[in-house]
Amino acid sequence: MSEFLNLDRESKAQKQLQKRSVFLFLLVSVFGIVTLFQLVKLTILDSTLYTTLSDENRIIRVPIYPSRGVIKLSNDEIVTENIVSQALTMLPAKTQDMEKTLRELRADLLIDDKQLLALKERIINKPSSYERVVIVENLSPEQIAKFSVEKDKWPNLSIEARLMRFNLLGPLFSHVLGYVGQINLEEIEDSKDFVYPLSFLTGKTGVEKFYEEDMRGGVGYKTIEVDVNGKEIRELNRVVPNKGRDVYLTLDKELQKLARKELTGRKGAVVALNPNTGFIKALVSSPDFNPNILNKTESGDLETIFNDLDSPLFNRAISGNYPPASTIKPFIGLLGLKEGEIDWNTTIEDKGFFQLNEGGRRYRGWKEDGHGKVNLSKSIIVSSDVFFYQLAVQLTVDRIAAFLKQFGFGLKTGVDLYAEAEGILPDRKWKLGAIGESWFVGDTLNMGIGQGFISCTPLQLAVAISSIATRGKIYKPKVVAKIGEEYIEKELIFEISSIKQTDWAKLESSMVSVISDWRGTAYNLAEIAENKIAGKTGTAQIKSLTDEELTVREEYEDVRQEESDRDHALFVGYGPIPEPELTVVVIVENGESGSAIAAPIAQKLIDNYLSRNN
Amino acid sequence: MSGKAPLDYQLNTSFGNKRPTLSKVLIDPILVFSLLTLLVFGLFVLFSASGQLTSMVFRQSIYIVIGLLLMFIISRLDQSVYKSFLMHFFWIGLILLIWVLLFPAEGYKTDRWINLGFISFQPSEVLRLLLPLAAASYLTRNQRRPSVKDWCIVLSAILVSSFLIYKQPDLGTSLIVLASGCIPVFLAGFPLLTLFILIALILISSPFLWANLTPYMQQRVITLFNPESDLLGAGWNISQSKTAIGSGGFMGKGYLDGTQSQLDFIPESHSDFIFSVIGEEFGFLGIILLFLVYGIILYRVFKIAFNSSTEFSRLTVSSIGFVFLIYILINVSMTVGTLPVVGVPLPLISQGGTSVLIHLVAFGFVLSMKRRQTW
Repeated sequence: MSEFLNLDRESKAQKQLQKRSVFLFLLVSVFGIVTLFQLVKLTILDSTLYTTLSDENRIIRVPIYPSRGVIKLSNDEIVTENIVSQALTMLPAKTQDMEKTLRELRADLLIDDKQLLALKERIINKPSSYERVVIVENLSPEQIAKFSVEKDKWPNLSIEARLMRFNLLGPLFSHVLGYVGQINLEEIEDSKDFVYPLSFLTGKTGVEKFYEEDMRGGVGYKTIEVDVNGKEIRELNRVVPNKGRDVYLTLDKELQKLARKELTGRKGAVVALNPNTGFIKALVSSPDFNPNILNKTESGDLETIFNDLDSPLFNRAISGNYPPASTIKPFIGLLGLKEGEIDWNTTIEDKGFFQLNEGGRRYRGWKEDGHGKVNLSKSIIVSSDVFFYQLAVQLTVDRIAAFLKQFGFGLKTGVDLYAEAEGILPDRKWKLGAIGESWFVGDTLNMGIGQGFISCTPLQLAVAISSIATRGKIYKPKVVAKIGEEYIEKELIFEISSIKQTDWAKLESSMVSVISDWRGTAYNLAEIAENKIAGKTGTAQIKSLTDEELTVREEYEDVRQEESDRDHALFVGYGPIPEPELTVVVIVENGESGSAIAAPIAQKLIDNYLSRNN
Repeated sequence: MSGKAPLDYQLNTSFGNKRPTLSKVLIDPILVFSLLTLLVFGLFVLFSASGQLTSMVFRQSIYIVIGLLLMFIISRLDQSVYKSFLMHFFWIGLILLIWVLLFPAEGYKTDRWINLGFISFQPSEVLRLLLPLAAASYLTRNQRRPSVKDWCIVLSAILVSSFLIYKQPDLGTSLIVLASGCIPVFLAGFPLLTLFILIALILISSPFLWANLTPYMQQRVITLFNPESDLLGAGWNISQSKTAIGSGGFMGKGYLDGTQSQLDFIPESHSDFIFSVIGEEFGFLGIILLFLVYGIILYRVFKIAFNSSTEFSRLTVSSIGFVFLIYILINVSMTVGTLPVVGVPLPLISQGGTSVLIHLVAFGFVLSMKRRQTW
């Protein structure tokens, strides 16, 4: 009986087990079917999508940038080239813990905080980038060695060769060439047709910036397969980039060297250009800097460059505003002739001062006793202030301002460099706006001798003076003569036709007499001059001298105690006469004497240039 | 019936009298050849998934050889030999579990391992086989229906074991152990009414259970439902795995040509996500063939289960079959994104010595319980 019951229970249990097994199997199958459907969806229905995703995972397009065009002189001598340096790069998209990585790098590879801070800003602003970002430039051999030992720690970092900018002549052309630096985010956004990578080196000033587009070339790209750490496995495809174009300077190395040497230890600027083309032959601003330090291809302290009180980065030649002082006189004289206010025979009595009306304020000339009887020619030779006071009053500010504008005063020359200043060409409207006062006749007097509100850059002055050499033709100044294979043409931007040829010629001969006449303000040049040049000295007052009880000389003795209050020394000139090839403008800040300090530099430059070009 | 062994017990002992045939040596040649096919295929996949590491394949092969030897030895045994003391083996497994919690092995992320110097293994893996065997053995120790007390004892053992594994923490294995314990209980005829009440209670208390999950486990569940939310973090695994399988398409990219696998885009591609490698390199076709082999194995297991003579063997073998099926299902589901990533290996293919060893030992028990049809 019990055995039968047991067998019965046994078969019941077996049936129960089979039933429950089937139930369990069906239950599991429900999940199984969901998963199976998902499998079909993945591998068959959505396979294309996932194939794309898989390819996007491993295949990335990496831009290839061509090497930057080099900068050469017209004789093919290279002045700025690309040199290879080792940089540490990071792939932000594959960096999970940025803070940790940076902390480790700081400790292990001795990277300073400032670099890391700048880097973080870059990465945060472009987080999903597959681009490698440069963390440290110019790795030292020690840093490379340390990294190589521990590189497994950072699969997202690697050392890559990188082209850096090196100026073979060091600081010689610093203000012309400028320097390069990592592109900043605004520059990336502003760029339209060129996608800059985060760590790209772009021109920041000078030719490097102005000819950026020509020298950087076009982007190519390569398609590569990468692993999960972004490491390149193999290259699949490559589109070669357009090479950057080389840029050829108009500048003359020897002339530049001489100009730089003459300004060493002084503050000031020299601009030398060919009046017949506008091509700049020398452009020096002193003090200058070593662009290689900013390019990070030479070690040096950036802080001292940026914090120097004499502003070595400031390009005085194109951005410095100086009163033209007596160098303005030839232009005022021309206007007087043109307007018929004077002719070459008009003479006045220079008693050392000028009064608007009897018993009024005495406007003193630089020479206490005056120059006696002076006409236009003698006024230029001896630089009579009184003659030009008189003439300026007759001409009025309106006519002076309009005329000077034709020579480029108050306007940018359009030179192929950035940060050019436009100077100040004052008139009634300008004064009301800028000073908030109406124009006084005294202002006109000052303007007549290039003092007061009027100011200009050394380059503007060079362009204006050149127009006397060319009899009214004004060419746009340029520092680049050739880009790649393409020659840059000279560019006539204005032509002054209202002046008679005889007046140009007589003006020029007056300016020649500034040097050759024994009474001339630059007669000191006659001894050293190898070539006949035309010129004009200038001594720009920093502080106005107004005490009528003292002579100018006495009052200035007091002023000059402070070195920064001393007059600027100016000289403008061109030569050789009669066929000018070089215009030179020299400004020496606080140099006091246009004739003693500035003029010899100009003469030497012209002589040097001609000795090698004839 | 007392004192007299069932018929097939006697039939089993008749082995060795006649000349050995293939079916006598292997007991179930179809099952054994299917297993071998899977193991060899698994080694090839492992070679690809490990980034072509022969050392890993070699290590796995050693475990497979040991596993096959154990399987062969166990398949020779008669169930009467081990049935009585399987219950006691369970206690050993439990002690080992407590051991790993108290004395965690050095150098492992979670407290899952026991390091014996020459070999390290996971007691949780051992337990997930011992538990159904012990449960089946206990519930069928006499011919009576299990009493309420019996059910309670077995259920307590299951809950304690899975709780200890959950504490390691190892959510995946803990759930597997829970399932592998509950399956024989369910199959042995656990009262349905009680079962429904228990399920209702679990559903009601599930919000409290959720609150008690560790953030790591919660994160895994959350990312299941929205893997795109955190592509570099927790969702990375699922999205890369889906990309691998999907990009494999119907035919696959070819052996060793899976870009997701070979370029390391699939994390844990040698263990939990080895199915993604199969999908990518062999495609839908390869997956179906793999399922076919798994299907044959399961078919043979259940055939053995339903044909076997004792309640104990039916219960044990079908439980082993279901656990095997659940392993496959959970692993495949998590790699295609229909279940959370819980860390369950693909049986007999994923890298992992203990796992493959225990699976083969389980098949040893299955084979030993096959009713020998010698007449």
